[in-house]
Amino acid sequence: MGFLSRKPKVKKSEESGLGITRKYTLARGRSYVVEESPPNISFDAFVNIISTPEAGGCTRSVGLAISRQHPDFIRQKYGLEQTPIYWLATRTGQEIIAPTNLGILTHTMVSFIDENPCGVILLDGIEYLVSNNDFTKVLRVVDQVNDHIAQSKSIMIIPVDPRAFDLKELALLERNMEKIVSTSKSA
Amino acid sequence: MKILVVDDSEAFRKVMIELLVRVGFHEVMEAENFDSAVEVFQREKPKISFVDMVLPGKSGVELTRAMLAVDPKATVIAMSSIINKKLIRESLEAGAKDFLLKPTNEIALNSVLTMWSD
Repeated sequence: MGFLSRKPKVKKSEESGLGITRKYTLARGRSYVVEESPPNISFDAFVNIISTPEAGGCTRSVGLAISRQHPDFIRQKYGLEQTPIYWLATRTGQEIIAPTNLGILTHTMVSFIDENPCGVILLDGIEYLVSNNDFTKVLRVVDQVNDHIAQSKSIMIIPVDPRAFDLKELALLERNMEKIVSTSKSA
Repeated sequence: MKILVVDDSEAFRKVMIELLVRVGFHEVMEAENFDSAVEVFQREKPKISFVDMVLPGKSGVELTRAMLAVDPKATVIAMSSIINKKLIRESLEAGAKDFLLKPTNEIALNSVLTMWSD
């Protein structure tokens, strides 16, 4: 029951609108894989969706970012003031999740989906999770969260560096998710 | 349709132009600072200008105002490598229609061009 004793403190906090247009049209109740490194498209899509209004049931989205990159860097670069950001790292602290603690990781994401019907999750650092766990265990986490996403109006975005996986692993990872493809390099 | 890319990084301009050509826009011009951008803008009258908000000398916000003073119907898209809400607000208040985070990509670029090219 270890992981249940630590309740994730994921506050529902909306970012103020930037006054810019929506650039990514991702369907609600779906999870997306972006094959890229560094995760520029994933972060751009995440920030764009939680900072712009949306037509339909979810007028404004709340975000949750889990990343191998330090939260201070993410807040500074992407102007995120309210969004909870968890750091995947082997340190202790309130907003840190150890890469080996897949229970806490799953619980954090599932709780967020349950509490935020229009949530957007960015899971950045899946390579780091795989380097600290069996691939199948990490896949189980992704599949479990994906099941919750499918029954909600939430969205999950997972950047994946294809160089870190073999073809079978990549296929298993992408099996139940949409793929965001940008055919050319970023400018 | 003519498009102008204003950025002090030659490498960025080169890749941005490649991206624009790739998504079907071939009349692309470039400028590296305020003065050369104003000169190209006055001469070529581009319909859309992508302007880095952080330029050497006069800023992208000032350039936006200068461009729109020449052609109020032109579309200026602000760009920056970080999301600075104050800077984005200033850009939009100066008349920029939208904002692109650098590095940008084909998906975001296509979306902006679809929105503002008509």
